[in-house]
Amino acid sequence: MMPQLITISIRPPQHKAFRLWVPLLPLLLVLSPVLVIALIAGVVACIGYRINPGRALWTAWRLLCGLRGTRVDVEHGRTAVLVAIR
Amino acid sequence: MSEQRRDVLQMLAEGKISADEAEQLIAALDRDQPAAVSDVDTRPRARPKYLRVVVNVPDTDDDGPARVNVRVPLQLLRAGVRLASLIPPQAVERANDELRRSGVPIDLSQLKPEQLEELIEHLGDMTVEVDQPDAKVHVFCE
Repeated sequence: MMPQLITISIRPPQHKAFRLWVPLLPLLLVLSPVLVIALIAGVVACIGYRINPGRALWTAWRLLCGLRGTRVDVEHGRTAVLVAIR
Repeated sequence: MSEQRRDVLQMLAEGKISADEAEQLIAALDRDQPAAVSDVDTRPRARPKYLRVVVNVPDTDDDGPARVNVRVPLQLLRAGVRLASLIPPQAVERANDELRRSGVPIDLSQLKPEQLEELIEHLGDMTVEVDQPDAKVHVFCE
């Protein structure tokens, strides 16, 4: 299952913290025209380098799905950055 | 029949021990048997899902302590190793040449996704701990 939500939280040292929730599915829908062009370019590149495009697409999909559960949390003094993919 | 029980019966047949002693020995073996079985944890171990990297740096330059906490799903690593099978043959040859020139004679074309997958499976048993005065690093699977 692909990730649904990306949470980005940034706390600058002197400023107020802000948190951003990015729903992935609506984002992909908005970016779908760009994604189609990128997909075509990717397939052409795969054919050029003699790589099976179906296999490459399946691997890219698995990579996207595998991102679910990733969490990067960095704190240094009063500065903090959090990226969580759910 | 267990080996020890067979030995007791053998000793009884050879007349080395009496019937009463044989009975006591067998009873003692029966008492020990369930305890030995229960000592072994037969529950299947939960498969690890995430690779965790935790770095703690104490406050050394008055900026405050630093802490890095990264959680990577093992599923992502599995998908990542499959990328190795997508490397174009020309690139594999060039990489092999460079590795050989650097004194690391590894043939990347011999690396199979199944082998890499097996490697990831065994990551669950791995724990790396580095304890230095200026930083502590802990890498483990959970």
